[in-house]
Amino acid sequence: MMSRLARATEFVSKRSFRQLWLGFVILFFLGFVILPTLYVLTYAFTNWDLIQSEVLSNSEIMSQIWTAIANSFEIAAIVTVIDILFGLPMAWILVRKNFRGKQLIDTLIDMPLAVPTAALGFSAAIFWGITPTDLTNPLGLKIISSPFLLIILLHVVFSYPYMVRSLSAILEQIDQTFEVAGRTLGASPLTAARTITLPLFRAGLVTGIILCFARSLSETGGTVAALATISNTDFNTAPTLIDSLQSTPALAFTSIVLIILALVLLVIVAFVVKRVHIPIRKVWPRPERILSRNLGPKFKDVTSVLFLTFIVLIPSFFVFTFVFTSSPSTTTDWSTFGEALFNSFLIAGVVTIIDLALGVPLALYIAKGRSKRLPEALDILVNVPLIVPTVALGFSLKLFWVGGEPVSGPFAIFLVMLAHIAFTYPLMVRNVTGAVEEIDPTFEETARTLGAKPVQSFKRVLLPMIKASILAGAIMAFTRSLGETGATRAISTTVLTAPNYIVNLVKGVKDYYTAALACIILIILSYALMLLLRYITRRRKEAS
Amino acid sequence: MPRISLQGVVKHYGGIKAADGLDLEVNNGEYLCLLGPTGAGKTTALRIICGLTRMDKGDVLFDGKSMVNLEPEDRKAVMLSQTYALFPQLTVAENILFGPNIREMPQEVKDRTLADMLDLVRLTHRPDALPRELSGGMQQRTALARALATGVDVLLLDEPLRALDARLRISLRHELRSLAKSLGITTIHVTHDQDEALVMADRIAVIREGRIVQVGTPAQIFDDPVSPFVANFVGQSNFFVGVVEEKREATLVRGEKGHVVLARPCEQGLGEKVVVGVKVGNTEVHKGGEGFFEGRVERILFEGRNIFLDVDVPELGRLSSKIPSWRLGRLAVGDLVKLNWSADKANVFAMPTHGLERELKVE
Repeated sequence: MMSRLARATEFVSKRSFRQLWLGFVILFFLGFVILPTLYVLTYAFTNWDLIQSEVLSNSEIMSQIWTAIANSFEIAAIVTVIDILFGLPMAWILVRKNFRGKQLIDTLIDMPLAVPTAALGFSAAIFWGITPTDLTNPLGLKIISSPFLLIILLHVVFSYPYMVRSLSAILEQIDQTFEVAGRTLGASPLTAARTITLPLFRAGLVTGIILCFARSLSETGGTVAALATISNTDFNTAPTLIDSLQSTPALAFTSIVLIILALVLLVIVAFVVKRVHIPIRKVWPRPERILSRNLGPKFKDVTSVLFLTFIVLIPSFFVFTFVFTSSPSTTTDWSTFGEALFNSFLIAGVVTIIDLALGVPLALYIAKGRSKRLPEALDILVNVPLIVPTVALGFSLKLFWVGGEPVSGPFAIFLVMLAHIAFTYPLMVRNVTGAVEEIDPTFEETARTLGAKPVQSFKRVLLPMIKASILAGAIMAFTRSLGETGATRAISTTVLTAPNYIVNLVKGVKDYYTAALACIILIILSYALMLLLRYITRRRKEAS
Repeated sequence: MPRISLQGVVKHYGGIKAADGLDLEVNNGEYLCLLGPTGAGKTTALRIICGLTRMDKGDVLFDGKSMVNLEPEDRKAVMLSQTYALFPQLTVAENILFGPNIREMPQEVKDRTLADMLDLVRLTHRPDALPRELSGGMQQRTALARALATGVDVLLLDEPLRALDARLRISLRHELRSLAKSLGITTIHVTHDQDEALVMADRIAVIREGRIVQVGTPAQIFDDPVSPFVANFVGQSNFFVGVVEEKREATLVRGEKGHVVLARPCEQGLGEKVVVGVKVGNTEVHKGGEGFFEGRVERILFEGRNIFLDVDVPELGRLSSKIPSWRLGRLAVGDLVKLNWSADKANVFAMPTHGLERELKVE
């Protein structure tokens, strides 16, 4: 037994085997993640005549597409600005302040991340929206009739945590001594924070903006559910339009435009935030001192907490009130929901395992190969599926594997798995790359000189150090897959996953009571997963 | 334990030459200090010996056997980094047994090794501590024990004492050396600290810009440096540029401004331009009597046992001297003094082709 293990270790330590395995991992990444994601772009070259005749010359479809895309970008931009305005003070509170209940707020912020957006969309819509009369909802505010506003409010809910997390991650790394030095040199707290710490924020701001913008741009399930809940029929964002369009050329055209705009925007944001300096040198000592002293900081703290409570949390969990205030449905079909849950977990499980097996090696290669050309290029490519709206990704993937033909049954589930791998794979790679980069390579090098083969030094030295990040990546991938609607529906609207089941209940048969119950079950399950994630990451923090 | 030889080792990083035809022989069981300024290629040399860095050209031999195609884990050469790289998730005992565990040694061998090592580095009372719970000195000793427990032939120490505070650093010098010597391990110790190298080494190899400049015993390196760079890097020196005028039992060198100094006999011919170098500690200062130069005391630095004097010599510039501190009361800033040295303490070097200033530059 021992000798077989030793022989296996010997075998996988061979340079030739390692190179072969690495080659396979890179090929998988390019062939199963990047290529299908961007494949739809080739449609413009091969079927331009179809696009020309069915889309460009059809002014009705064109105006529909442009309106939807404009809506999407306007919403994403407004949402991102709101996230920055309210996320920054919250990040500050979380990192720089100590108070009772900080742990609680820290946990609450992540909650919307765990909830599938389809459930969020329904929940937020019955909280804010003017709902149709057949939907009994006595506790709802019923103040929003504009779908545009409703979608903004909804997108803020699930993008806000990303902004807060990105900013606080950076803030934690920024040495407070800079600010303290500024204070001892006579700057008021606000001046010091604004002129010294804020400019160091750029990296976090780029990450935050890209995450929020991309999330808002690609969100499908929640948007469809919310729009259906307020019985909207004519308002569309780009993803909901793709969701409802039938003609392949129109779908391809919308996807292409969306992908290109998203990529261009990514480049612009990265470029602008890096190059353009926020005018921060100018100092207004007196007003800033006054703002720092009196009610200024209190106002900031109170607003942040109120925002978190009323804009983010209550709408997320409002659905819980619904089952108590509305009459039970008679047509609830639990076996279908059970099957949907089973499918969702099956898909998420398989996807996570594949992400683990093939994402970790790629992350190691990228993290250790800094300053070499191929790893650098892969590092940039890995971000692409994060930016591409998942509906467009799903459609592109379907076009790549089956030429856009309708699919059903187990094969559809298989395709959905491939699609989910494409957008969860980067999450895994990102997480692990970040963790490995933080670890001094000397540990592994020392292990090598102490006689460990590469596999042994990975297993015994590096793996224990990055285990928590790998797990975090796995749970992130799992929950993202569990909550995904857009990519799934782009493959097939009939694939029975839990979010899709909810969307179909709200949009199709209008069985709100069952939808609410399904939402609650999904929220509880997802939340249990997130608690697990927090438990693991907490333990990592304590261990380090 | 092996004899190590590096032959014509070349390693470039982009445009930077980290090793530029490096030749070095380290004898069996020898404690060699690789001494050089920051960026001279010391760490690169170590990494090439243990196989963590692949060289562009050249050969590394252990007992005449080429190591080029051997992976780091097969060389039995352990590198101990500045930060010790103790595995943070493992206890002292687990760290020490890392190598034996990898090699799957029998349990009783592991038990014995652990007991021996803990005893050797005086950590018998802390086997279950995690690295972060230990003091700097204990961490250092744990790292050493871990290296020794693996059954190493070659110990490569990369500035092993750098992270320790000054007092501990000095007390650990002796300990580290005697441990390595008693086990007969061939050791290469990289440092930029000349005092450390002088105290610890059997031999010192001075490295600069990826080349070995001089190899010799500490006394040789200190007293008979081969170049102005070595003379200045290992114990600060005063330099005097001039032309050889007489060659008898001592060499007489005359400077541009007419000053005349005496130095050791040299190979350079009459009329050749040379550099005379004298350690500041061998440069004497007197208020009266004979001297090569006369100048005013510009600055006096009290260093405890010694005082460090800067003297401004008209037309020549600043020369320095290190004298015992009991003379502190007898000299004051502004005093007119004579500078002198005995001819056998002054080395004569050929004038460096790229100029003296470039030669002395440390980067």
